[in-house]
Amino acid sequence: MIWQFDLLILALGVLCALASISLKDLLSAAIVFGAYSFLMCLLWTEMGAVDVAFTEAAVGAGVSTVFFLAAVYHTNRAVKPRRRGRLLHKLVGLVTAACIGLLLLSATADFPTWADPNSPASVYLSPFYITETIPQTAVPNIVTAVLADFRGFDTMFETSVIFVAGLAVLAILGSYGRRQRDYEPSPTGQDAAHQSSIVQTACRVFVPFMQLFALYVVAHGHHSPGGGFQGGVILGASFILVAISYDLRVMQRRLRERLAMLFAGLGVLIYAGIGALCLVLGANFLDYSILHTILPATSPIMARSHGMLGVEIGVAFTVMAIMVIIYVNVASHGKSDRGL
Amino acid sequence: MISPEQYPVLIVVTPLLSAFLINILGNMDKRFCYPATLLALAGSLAAAVGTLCRVANEGVIHYRVGGWPPPFGIEYVVDHLNALVLVVVAGVALVAAVASKRSVEEEFPHKITQFYTLFVLLTTGLLGMTITGDAFNLYVLMEIAALTNYALIAMGGNRALMASFNYVVVGTIGACFYLLGVGHLYIMTGSLNMADIMTILPSLYGTNAILVAAILMLLGAWIKMAFFPLHGWLPNAYTYAPSATSSLVAPLMTKVSVYIMIRVMFSVLGATYVFTVLPVKELIVWLATAAIVGGSLFALSQKDFKRMLTFLIVAEVGYMVGGAWLATERGITGAILHIVNDAVMTLCLFLFSAIVVYKTKGHQLSNLEGMFKKMPLTMTAFAVGALSMIGVPPTAGFFSKWYLILGGIDAGQWQFVVALLFSSLVNAVLFFRIFEIAYYEPHSDHHGHSAPVAIDEAPMSMLLPLAVVAVAIIMLGLYSGEIVTTFIQHAVPAGI
Repeated sequence: MIWQFDLLILALGVLCALASISLKDLLSAAIVFGAYSFLMCLLWTEMGAVDVAFTEAAVGAGVSTVFFLAAVYHTNRAVKPRRRGRLLHKLVGLVTAACIGLLLLSATADFPTWADPNSPASVYLSPFYITETIPQTAVPNIVTAVLADFRGFDTMFETSVIFVAGLAVLAILGSYGRRQRDYEPSPTGQDAAHQSSIVQTACRVFVPFMQLFALYVVAHGHHSPGGGFQGGVILGASFILVAISYDLRVMQRRLRERLAMLFAGLGVLIYAGIGALCLVLGANFLDYSILHTILPATSPIMARSHGMLGVEIGVAFTVMAIMVIIYVNVASHGKSDRGL
Repeated sequence: MISPEQYPVLIVVTPLLSAFLINILGNMDKRFCYPATLLALAGSLAAAVGTLCRVANEGVIHYRVGGWPPPFGIEYVVDHLNALVLVVVAGVALVAAVASKRSVEEEFPHKITQFYTLFVLLTTGLLGMTITGDAFNLYVLMEIAALTNYALIAMGGNRALMASFNYVVVGTIGACFYLLGVGHLYIMTGSLNMADIMTILPSLYGTNAILVAAILMLLGAWIKMAFFPLHGWLPNAYTYAPSATSSLVAPLMTKVSVYIMIRVMFSVLGATYVFTVLPVKELIVWLATAAIVGGSLFALSQKDFKRMLTFLIVAEVGYMVGGAWLATERGITGAILHIVNDAVMTLCLFLFSAIVVYKTKGHQLSNLEGMFKKMPLTMTAFAVGALSMIGVPPTAGFFSKWYLILGGIDAGQWQFVVALLFSSLVNAVLFFRIFEIAYYEPHSDHHGHSAPVAIDEAPMSMLLPLAVVAVAIIMLGLYSGEIVTTFIQHAVPAGI
């Protein structure tokens, strides 16, 4: 807790937020927005929420900036010039925003102070999680235990949200499912060859390490910050990197869209399937402890830990596949041919 | 065999698991999608009915997801209010799915798999929002329902894309408000479990933070349900949505949002807080009055049949919000009964509009010309829905409106009573105008005499669901007394 540092990050964050909504060039706005996410990530780290910071870095500052860039590339870089006669609209917007802002400010007076150890959030449920996580689940990372076990039901639906996002992109943009699967030749006749060979070589060296790290993040989420979401995003980003440095086709030779969609469905199915397995074995939905009856050499407590690993792997599958699907469709306008 | 103990979670998990299976198997063979969707939704409906019976016999059911006790884990709570809403949601979704076959095959033959996956996931989201006893879990399911809804509307192409985009912006603001409200409650109480929050809250009633939380959560629900001044996103989104989408979302989305408002009022903030601490109930009933009058007047000025129906939804939302905020027993009873009745009535009207679109490729009022001769059965079923919207006994619409009027009189809110009567009058004008158009034959040809009109009924997969819904409207009307005494009177908070 260094308040000077917090203040600096906050000031920069507000600056970035203002800049990204007032910039007329959407490409710059997207980059500044990425910077904003990165500052938020620093703030989470400072507050000790390392898992959240990890996700913010991977999703907010990482892939979502790439998605924005891909979308801007295919639409329009410049903001539409303002039309006249919208004064009333602006006024209504301003007054509404000011009212909501004042409302939110007025509530902060009742809030506990920054990092107050006696705040309701710290004294009510947290002690249970802190004292009971290791004895009851054998998972050292409490955040993972809350995420994948105590509130694992929420996480299952969050993973479904990711799945839905990918499916929505496909449903709106995608040509997937139509008969013609042949790729159109790119209009300029350029191919993967036109890209810089320095970039390509660097990426070729870089990608295996990235993927190894991603798998580590997934597998080690019980013990250190990380887990299925972060690992899945990094894994997806490694494919996106191939697609950017080479060509969409080069990437798709390694991970076809059809296969990616299968992975996406499979991932959530693993999660919900483990939950349903608990139900079939006679416990409540997602009560992993019952899994000890079918897993060899486990106690009900270790079974919780293994159950969490299982669902984290499911999450990683879905997140990885959906990141690739969103990128492929947004970057190629749903034609999944050449890309940017 | 799975014990009845597990029914509550099966209501949500059955469609969830099926959705992923539909997606995987549908990509291999898309003929698989339609029967699998029906099977999944039928399973969900069976579990919902099983739960309803348990609630009627045993009272409130608690289910611990993951085996963790509340407030540490997530809890499902099924009481007399949401047991009823769950059956309605599962039932409406099943009927809408049965009727969707032809429309989907015609409107987007290449995207059948995606459509049905999203359709089943949207139903999962709505059911999950209804059943949960956890304020944050509700938000997660709200996200699922919203995202699938945006995609399903955008699949209508062209104008639907822009309408869906507007909905994305407004809907996201609504969801954010709800989440911010939950965040405030968490900061102040340290809990996310609804029942737990409600027991902690009375000591914090005077604080600004709880006031802000209440405002944010209610605003979020109002945006999501298109409550009058915040209804701007709804007409376009529902008008340009594909028929199969609008048959699902028009009856359910607004009704589930009304349910959430009632849940937040009585199970999170507490009836004492919303009715006595907050000095706003008169104001909100006035807003509801404006919603009813405004929605009715806009509906009156439409030439597009489907668009007219969307404005009727705006008016109906006014009924339910107003009824809940009358703060009288009969008013709240009417509001809850109207959630059930209005879902079924709206389903009837939108199934009919799907048939009109399928048969005539348009949804203008002029597309309805000659309908009585061409499709007598379809028109009869539609007439039942229309009479229910007007509020003619013994259709369901009459009974909920009757309770709402009595509630308005109990509360002395006469403007609300007048608005309800005015809305009935406008609905009568609207629907009798439609009957008139449907009796006339299309314009005769140049020779001055028209060809005899052959009977050209809607396909069985669309007609049968419509007929079932028409029968349901009458049954709901006949059994409304039983519904009120068995379920709704237990759902009204005590001491009002």
